[in-house]
Amino acid sequence: NNSSQLSSLPLHILLYVNGVYYIFYFLATLAMIIYKSQVFSYPDDFLAPDLAVLFLMAILEVPRLYLGFKGNLTEAEAPLGLSLGLTVGSVLLCVYLLLWQSYVLWADVLLNAVLLAAYGLESGLKVMAIAAFVS
Amino acid sequence: AQARVRSAPAPVTDVARLCVCDLLVAQCDTNCCCDPDCSAEDFSLFTTCSIPVVVGDSQLCSQKAAVYSLDVEANPPERIFKLIDQVNPSIFCIHATNYEQALYFKSPEIPTAENFDQLLEKFGGATFSAEPDSWNLDTDAQNPPEANETSRYEYGAPVQTEDGFLRLPSPVVSSWCSDANPAGFLVNQATKCIRSVSVEKCDSIQALSMLFYINSSILASVFQVNITVQSIVVQSLNGTRTLLSRGEVLRLPMVLDELCINAVLGVNYHITHTDTGEIIEAAAAFVLGAISRETLSIEQSFKISFTQENTQPVPLSGNPGYVVGLPVRAGFQPQGYPSPAAFLFASLALSSNKHSQLTILHSTSTQDCLAAQGARAPVLFGYNMISGCKLRITAAMKCQPLAQTLLDVLKGQSFPEYVASFGNSQAQDVFDWVPITQLHISEQMIPHTLQSSCQIPVSLGIEVKWTKYGSLVNPQARIVNVTATITSTTLKQLPSGREKIIPITTSVVFTDISSPAEPSYKAWPTINIKLPFDFFYPFV
Repeated sequence: NNSSQLSSLPLHILLYVNGVYYIFYFLATLAMIIYKSQVFSYPDDFLAPDLAVLFLMAILEVPRLYLGFKGNLTEAEAPLGLSLGLTVGSVLLCVYLLLWQSYVLWADVLLNAVLLAAYGLESGLKVMAIAAFVS
Repeated sequence: AQARVRSAPAPVTDVARLCVCDLLVAQCDTNCCCDPDCSAEDFSLFTTCSIPVVVGDSQLCSQKAAVYSLDVEANPPERIFKLIDQVNPSIFCIHATNYEQALYFKSPEIPTAENFDQLLEKFGGATFSAEPDSWNLDTDAQNPPEANETSRYEYGAPVQTEDGFLRLPSPVVSSWCSDANPAGFLVNQATKCIRSVSVEKCDSIQALSMLFYINSSILASVFQVNITVQSIVVQSLNGTRTLLSRGEVLRLPMVLDELCINAVLGVNYHITHTDTGEIIEAAAAFVLGAISRETLSIEQSFKISFTQENTQPVPLSGNPGYVVGLPVRAGFQPQGYPSPAAFLFASLALSSNKHSQLTILHSTSTQDCLAAQGARAPVLFGYNMISGCKLRITAAMKCQPLAQTLLDVLKGQSFPEYVASFGNSQAQDVFDWVPITQLHISEQMIPHTLQSSCQIPVSLGIEVKWTKYGSLVNPQARIVNVTATITSTTLKQLPSGREKIIPITTSVVFTDISSPAEPSYKAWPTINIKLPFDFFYPFV
């Protein structure tokens, strides 16, 4: 393997795993919100913000992952920097779903914690990749 | 923050202090292990703990639980109280909630000077619902429903009018009238309720005016049916009622001589419909009365009945079997149809007039047979009845007229010949009608008395034999046999000047002669295998 390659392989793997895990996370969280609305008392003005946050996170995830892949493969720091910015937004939304949802189930805690860990690791690898590309 | 002068007491959420079985204040409740009023001596007398665990919502992942138990091994038995952490192992347990009312009931709003009017408006009426807008009867806020929705009514559907629903005021929670009760299609109802009135507000109370009840027309298929005034009966202050000859004129309440006259005391709606459920006619019969100055409330009665067009409404006594408490239906075979063949096509004259039903003598307070000749009571299915009167016989009475009078008293003016077998027997089905068997028994007081002496009927006993008919789980009552037995006794000639009192009795007895039901089972299916005709062709 030629050491002149600056693209980060661990970042690529992590982004790929993140993509797959996110699909599972989205479906699971949506199903649990539906379950909560049937089993518990979940009035509409508490249900709407939770669903809005979940869908907003899904909408943010797509460009975030795309920019991450593209930046890493083309060794360009601009898309990678943009992806990092979107990651910050996703982290905030994830923290909302972890702490400030109307009902936080134990399964919610697990899913969100894993996602947060993935985001954290990703951010670290992205920073290292940007540093490598810039220098 | 200053607005809250006092608030409701905070709900107790500490499981160690919650005790649901602690009902008596400052006294120990039996078998209530969490009662703080109980001492160790009381605990030693308990047998079990009626509430072993006090715990919050068990859906939470981890929560405190108070466990109470009795240690019966120790002498004396003592109560054990433990505060443990209960863990819900499910992965869908609630870890946290950010929604205050998720797990607890909402504390009600305490009325203050600011929110009192709004609370009164919302909760001040006789009823309130979670969604008040869906039952809005205001004319300006109502959208008229679609035409094809009102064309056909189903049983129980509210009858729609231009501005909402046809109202049948009825008592809801208390006896006070609520005007928001809609009349259901084909639901015959009769309600009575009390309305508070005053002479000063005579013309301002809407519910006292005839217009309130006939104002809006009923929506039906393509056109609207106006409610016509069928008749008006005026009730005076002492209760006498007179039917007005020109009953179609609208009479509105007005104040006259310190009385409020033409106030509506009762409305009787008659709705005619087709057999497909379309309303074609509506009429209302009113009872108007006067309200005096001292009256604070009046009782209004409302009734609605539905009739199919071109039919005579015949009240059924059950469908198909008789219902206990409904009158036994009876009728006559019309004259001029003696032959059995013609009988098949004849229809029995049905009785909607209660005087030609199966009736028995109705005991009156005077107990004099000759004075109470008109009072009859209908025979109700399943109710054994006995009634009677006393007959005073003087020496001057002649035998034959007396016997005839007594027979009239016992049997009534028109004693029927046939009784319906089922509660819904139609007049055309002649086999559904049971003939009444009439028996005469004469009690011979003196065995060697000749037949020419006076025999007067003294008692009529109607025995109705019925059986359970139909399926085992839903048996229907069916009348099988009706026997009317007249018992006569000999009347001895009285010496002049003397009089004698004889009791006359009538009784109706219902006997259940149903044989015990036998459950039957379906036959096992048989396998029907037959070889084809030419199976062994080459050989046979």
